[in-house]
Amino acid sequence: MWQRPPHMALLRGTSQGLQITIATGEFHDSVAELAETLQAQPDFYRGSLAHLVFRSTAPSVEEFQQIRGMLDQSGITVEGMLGDESVESLALELELEYLGSAPPINIEDLQKRRGTRLERQALSEGARSLTADFAGARSDLAARRTTPVVPLTQATTLYYRGTVRSGQVLRQLGNIVVVGDVNPGAELIASGDIVVFGTLRGQAHAGAQGDTAARVTAIELSPTQLRIATLIAAGEQTATRSKHRDGGEEARIEENRIVVVPIVRGVS
Amino acid sequence: MSGRRIVVTSGKGGVGKTTTTANLGAALAKRGRKVALVDADIGLRNLDLVLGVEKRIVFDLVEVVEGRCQIRQALIRDKRIENLWILPAAQTRDKDSITEAQFLRLTTDLAEFHDFVIIDCPAGIEHGFRNAVAGSQEAIVVTTPEVSAIRDADRVIGKIHERKMPMRLVINRIRPDMVKSGEMMSVEDVCEILSAELLGIVPDDEEVIDTTNRGEPIVLDSTKRLAAIYDKMARRLEGEIVEFTRLEEPSLFNRIIAGWRG
Amino acid sequence: MHDAQRETQDAAPRETSVAASPTVPRGHAIVITSGKGGVGKTTTTANVGAALAARGAKVALVDADVGLRNLDIVLGLESRVRYHLLDVIEGKVSLEDALIRDKRSPNMSLLAASQTREKDDVDTNKMRALIEQLRESFDWVLIDCPAGIEAGFRNAVVGAQSAIVVCTPEVSSVRDADRVVGLLPQSLEPKLIVNRIRPHLVRRGKMLSVEDVNAILRLPLLGIVADEPEVVMATNRGEPIALDQRSQTGASYRSIAARIVGENVPVERPRMGFFARISALFGGR
Repeated sequence: MWQRPPHMALLRGTSQGLQITIATGEFHDSVAELAETLQAQPDFYRGSLAHLVFRSTAPSVEEFQQIRGMLDQSGITVEGMLGDESVESLALELELEYLGSAPPINIEDLQKRRGTRLERQALSEGARSLTADFAGARSDLAARRTTPVVPLTQATTLYYRGTVRSGQVLRQLGNIVVVGDVNPGAELIASGDIVVFGTLRGQAHAGAQGDTAARVTAIELSPTQLRIATLIAAGEQTATRSKHRDGGEEARIEENRIVVVPIVRGVS
Repeated sequence: MSGRRIVVTSGKGGVGKTTTTANLGAALAKRGRKVALVDADIGLRNLDLVLGVEKRIVFDLVEVVEGRCQIRQALIRDKRIENLWILPAAQTRDKDSITEAQFLRLTTDLAEFHDFVIIDCPAGIEHGFRNAVAGSQEAIVVTTPEVSAIRDADRVIGKIHERKMPMRLVINRIRPDMVKSGEMMSVEDVCEILSAELLGIVPDDEEVIDTTNRGEPIVLDSTKRLAAIYDKMARRLEGEIVEFTRLEEPSLFNRIIAGWRG
Repeated sequence: MHDAQRETQDAAPRETSVAASPTVPRGHAIVITSGKGGVGKTTTTANVGAALAARGAKVALVDADVGLRNLDIVLGLESRVRYHLLDVIEGKVSLEDALIRDKRSPNMSLLAASQTREKDDVDTNKMRALIEQLRESFDWVLIDCPAGIEAGFRNAVVGAQSAIVVCTPEVSSVRDADRVVGLLPQSLEPKLIVNRIRPHLVRRGKMLSVEDVNAILRLPLLGIVADEPEVVMATNRGEPIALDQRSQTGASYRSIAARIVGENVPVERPRMGFFARISALFGGR
């Protein structure tokens, strides 16, 4: 077994908002780690809603207020909490929502972090700083959502053949598949995934209603801007961009930021 | 405070409105003024490209006018020049998307917290032009020393005079060698035809195309002669009397060629 | 010379054959568009028109840039404009009376735009009817489209059967051209002319290449026209450079005309101009 679970104060995005896990048994370390994460990108989560997951037992009221204060400073609002009966009592006392017991730890996630990592291209420094720029826009994007959330099982896929040209918009509750290029100045907006069987040079917004598991896939991924759920990433300068991999690339959210990985056949 | 609202227009397309807006705006910002540049060319936006911010657009002017976001959310800060902000146009709409009254309200709001609001006008004299002019108090007319451009500038100047707006002229893409050989109109010719007060004379420069493609306004490089010229324009705009740069004598190369061609 | 008594402009060539029914237009209308202003639509219209006329075809040029007319200047005909597009559309004058015939190119006629009116004044249906009427008497009707994507653009496109998109090797121009292609009816099957290319700059990586431009636009290439000072000079003189046998640019327009009529002429790459080569030698601009 591992000595100390890495990332005790796990912070992850879900389709319902942020999920922040605190290992109450190592409270100070947890809080320190959370503080570090928040400080690394001070405005990144502004406007988000969060559920707190307490593993082992509930913290004391003062400890809780400490966490809440920290989250407040970063513009994160606590909606509710998950954990055992002690957490339920705490929730009652603080008049917050008790959402049930803590979800099981995802072993694969933890293993991934420790050992074998999927090969990936991290965002360059430039893109990272741009992502921070967009932080304020995240809540704006969330607020833009005006249509009701449609579960993906009910959604349909828009299939488009041809080049999507500057100024054209494809909008779909569901997925979008383009067989052709998407030019700069064109926009694809989908509540689900976006697949471009060609070169994506325009703007794509997948998971437009908040689904952080949505992906953008293209044979060549060179967008002016990429959005998944409420995260935004600017396209990289072509000069620093490496040659696209044969077989295409996929953009998805990992650890609360958009990463681009080559498509490896046979791996989901 | 109420900043000055200036439209940069021309009538004819392609004479350098956007380049002028970007560089003059940048020059003013470099002098410490708070500048907001507004792209009024809805549907054919280019100001964002010229300033290299196209990848950072989250909201645009139409969304501001339609109340879907605040102005501050749509303004993009230039990362290289302090005090310079850009409000991009929408690409997926067209110029019939907003009214003159809405545009006026927009620029007036911007003028509350900027010293200069400079509006990049679309080509033509239709709705887009009317919107841009409705939102302004002053005009800068850009022309090249070429018959079609001058005729269109003249039409536009007429419309500006109808609105009693103060106006100044920028003559763009002058080629001194061609003026000397009589193949191009001189500054004096142009000013006489248009009878307008001169704000600036900008020589033709091949580097401008490349800087546009790269999204780096030429004034970023203070060693370039064009940077000095735009700086002078900024100073004139603020009321200083500044001598016009003497566009250089034809270079040795040009003189050889001129002699060759007889 | 003018008939002093009638004071009308020279009449356009009329269809004389009895067999041709006036209700079946036989000519082909092409709109020349770009989105971005100042990339050479008007120069292209004038020169392609002149080149087609030089091959013996009957050509009508229509300036659809109401309010900012320029086609007449480029052809050197500005002093002869009496009536214009809106006069015809509004029924104040007949089409024959409004058309100006170019003395140097007797097969070519011009319908000028109004300088004092505006594009919103043009009725779309009447514009379509006007183009159809022109197609009855001319082999080719070239429509010079204004910049933009609003009413002026829509009216210029409405009577056309084909489109030529003019684009310069600059990102703004490509972006705007792409926008326009997205708005053109697919039936127009637009083709591309890349204008104002400077091979020495492309070589130095300071300008987009034709391939860069067409990687985005993805249109069949109709022609490439180099940027030469001769073009501006010819414009200022009101003489289409397509008629200048010594000019490389003129040759480009002539081969574009050949391609339009269906000849299989490969698109030539502009050579670096003589002076540009000297400039490159000296390392100058």
